[in-house]
Amino acid sequence: MSALLALIAPAFHALQTQVPAQAPQGRNIVGAQIAIGSLFSLHILIAGLVSGAAELGPAIEFLGYVRQRRNYDRLAHGLGRFITYYFSVSSTIAILLITVLLVGFWGHFWTTIVTIGWWPLFIEAWTFVLQVSLAYLWYYTWEPMRAFKGVHMAIGGLLAVASFLQVYMIDVIASYMLTPSNPQNPVRLALNPTSYPLTVHRTVGNLAYIAFAFGGFCAIRYLRAKTAEDRRFYDWAGSFGLLWGVSMTLLQPVVGYSYAKEVQLHSYGSWYKMMFGSLSPVFLWQITLLGIMFLTATLYFARRLRTDEAPGSGILKLLAVGMVLTTLLAAQPYALGFSYETVAAAGLNRPFWEGGLINPLGSMIPWKVLALMFYTLIAIAAVVWYLRGLPGVVWGTARRGEQRILMLMTVFTMLMMVTMGFIRENSRGPFLISGEMTIQGQQNVPTPTPQSSP
Amino acid sequence: MRRRLSAAYDWFDERTAIRSLLRKGLYEAVPVRGAWFYTLGSATLVLIILQLITGIFLTLLFVPSVTEAWQSLNYLKEHDAFGAIVRGIHLWSAYILLFVIGLHMVRTFFSGSYKRPRELNWVTGVGLFVLVLGMAITGAFLPWDQAAYWTAVVVTNIAAYTPFIGSFLRALWRGADTMGPITLSRTFGIHVWLLPAILFPLIGAHLALLRKHGEFGSYINYRGAYKSREGVDVPPAPAQRPIEPPYPAAPSEELWAAPLQTEDFYPHQTFKDGIVSAALVVVVFILAVAIGAPLEAIADPATTNYTPVPEWFFLPLDELLVLVPQQLIPLVLVLPTGGVLLLLALPFIDRGPERNPFERPAVMVPGAFAVLFVVILTLLGSGRLFNL
Repeated sequence: MSALLALIAPAFHALQTQVPAQAPQGRNIVGAQIAIGSLFSLHILIAGLVSGAAELGPAIEFLGYVRQRRNYDRLAHGLGRFITYYFSVSSTIAILLITVLLVGFWGHFWTTIVTIGWWPLFIEAWTFVLQVSLAYLWYYTWEPMRAFKGVHMAIGGLLAVASFLQVYMIDVIASYMLTPSNPQNPVRLALNPTSYPLTVHRTVGNLAYIAFAFGGFCAIRYLRAKTAEDRRFYDWAGSFGLLWGVSMTLLQPVVGYSYAKEVQLHSYGSWYKMMFGSLSPVFLWQITLLGIMFLTATLYFARRLRTDEAPGSGILKLLAVGMVLTTLLAAQPYALGFSYETVAAAGLNRPFWEGGLINPLGSMIPWKVLALMFYTLIAIAAVVWYLRGLPGVVWGTARRGEQRILMLMTVFTMLMMVTMGFIRENSRGPFLISGEMTIQGQQNVPTPTPQSSP
Repeated sequence: MRRRLSAAYDWFDERTAIRSLLRKGLYEAVPVRGAWFYTLGSATLVLIILQLITGIFLTLLFVPSVTEAWQSLNYLKEHDAFGAIVRGIHLWSAYILLFVIGLHMVRTFFSGSYKRPRELNWVTGVGLFVLVLGMAITGAFLPWDQAAYWTAVVVTNIAAYTPFIGSFLRALWRGADTMGPITLSRTFGIHVWLLPAILFPLIGAHLALLRKHGEFGSYINYRGAYKSREGVDVPPAPAQRPIEPPYPAAPSEELWAAPLQTEDFYPHQTFKDGIVSAALVVVVFILAVAIGAPLEAIADPATTNYTPVPEWFFLPLDELLVLVPQQLIPLVLVLPTGGVLLLLALPFIDRGPERNPFERPAVMVPGAFAVLFVVILTLLGSGRLFNL
């Protein structure tokens, strides 16, 4: 024992001299950004799935009831199980983030944002309670309330509403940090310029994310399935997940573009950083990844129909070629350097054939906007053609290749989630609250008051 | 007294056959289930009639000239409380009409009611939707206040993006290259004469076709709904097909030919129609009294600090115009035109007998996307305007 104490004592002594007695309170900016950024990403990756499942699950249960299909009911039940397993994981990370990291590293910021967003955070807390109560009720009354399906679906509907409200309230805070509005007016706060687009973007995104995720999960279960019934179910559920995920992702180019437009109008510095500054390479990766996701999904559709010789595989291959060309267009960099900002600073902002480093084919207007339009149109056509061919598909006959594509889509979606979060959170720099509070020392920036005329 | 009235009715019936007309009109067999959803058509008709009545009243006071249009409406606002309410009813019933006719179209689309033999019901319905939209847009020009003037500038400019004949169309509508007195006179003429002259015969045709083929209702009323359900047998065919004598033409259509259960249009469906229509009229009246019809300052073409705000039904297109760069605007304007053409062609593209929306994904998915896009663009547009 004394030997152990002799070993530990110097370590404690060293710690006592090195570890500060109080919270870092913004003094270690890099440490805070790494700790908070990585944990937030993990939190969003899990919370996005839970929110998506709480919104999609009840919808699938309703569809199953209307169509009288057992597959839907089994899938919705599985999503319910997922929520009950992972809700607490996501919540634990959130609480750790708030009580330890945010208060510890950015205490002044946290106090300010809670003061400003007290009402949204108050509602957020109660929707949190509502969500967890309804989620457990919804899942654990599945069999006991089978004779009262209408009531059970109503509980699911309330769960979906609570989950949406929860996302919306936290979006009010997140969007306020990027595009602050008059904090004295709760309506202005709740409807600040980017709260609408962010909420729509995130809700649709969460629905797509959970769908791609359970698609990948079902692919693994399909490969391990022992019975023909399980193979049929997991084959169908994987396809359903991908179909739903693509259908939701289709809306994202319009919603995301609208979001970026609002950022341009109300937080020009952040927008410039995303489009022309240090975040532009990440933005380029994002738009390319979107194309890769649509392309991968189209390839799945084509392969799945071909496996059962269902009609439509040929057209889907043609659409995949179209998607490749569109992705190549979208992936064109505008500045053939790190960013336009650096190219312009070097005086090389002229076309490459004039000795500069500008590639006009990579410009946002019109080329990337056109690419976004083509993404949407080609993906809609792919979904329609796949649906047309589906009656010819026999569930349970899928090959390994299709399942690998489903798993790959889950990885791509997670990458997309992390990329989007990274862009949004870093676009505000050097501010924690755009134009109002800096990261460095959490300094409040005084709001300029208009000069009164004599 | 009662005998005299009865005798008068007999006299009238002998000359007009009113009794058989009423019987034919009121005792139609309509599907039972989901009947509240089938009230949207009659609600649309009631709102159009409300538009007609209040519109006639307004033409008695409104002066369609750039110098006096605003003055005449301002007189209503300031000195004629009843007139102001009538104008409010005209405006709010137009807004609610657009919403209700949109819902009616969406219901018809999702229920597959446009399929054989009702293709022309759908085509006339699409025509009515476009005309009502045209009425709303032209009506928005007439007050000649700031909002009306700048709406007119934007809308007539949109016409100019039509390939090849765009400039000609704009000049034709405006009466010159720029906005002026002829713009208002022409728009007034289009609003009160041209569009109604097409609208009302089309309503007649729509109703006549509805009577010929009967209300389809929804797939849940038919044997076909049971075909895809696990462990549920398809019920036997009803003993008679009271609604569609020339139909079905093929064995696969028998599942969708006659509703399993029907009831008389009068009093069952008329009661529900009456409730919904009356509720909408009450809502219109409350809005007309509580909010009324706004009238901004008189149009000032020289102003530099006025921010035009589009009408709510214009928000999806407005949001697209804001999002899309100038070079691609003609591409965006293809969307509504192409959308209307696609809607007109829909019954001739989707010709299969299946009516269950869950079994028609190839049509339902693009349709659902279109509706979702419109809703999302409206939301985004309203959010943008709120933060102007």
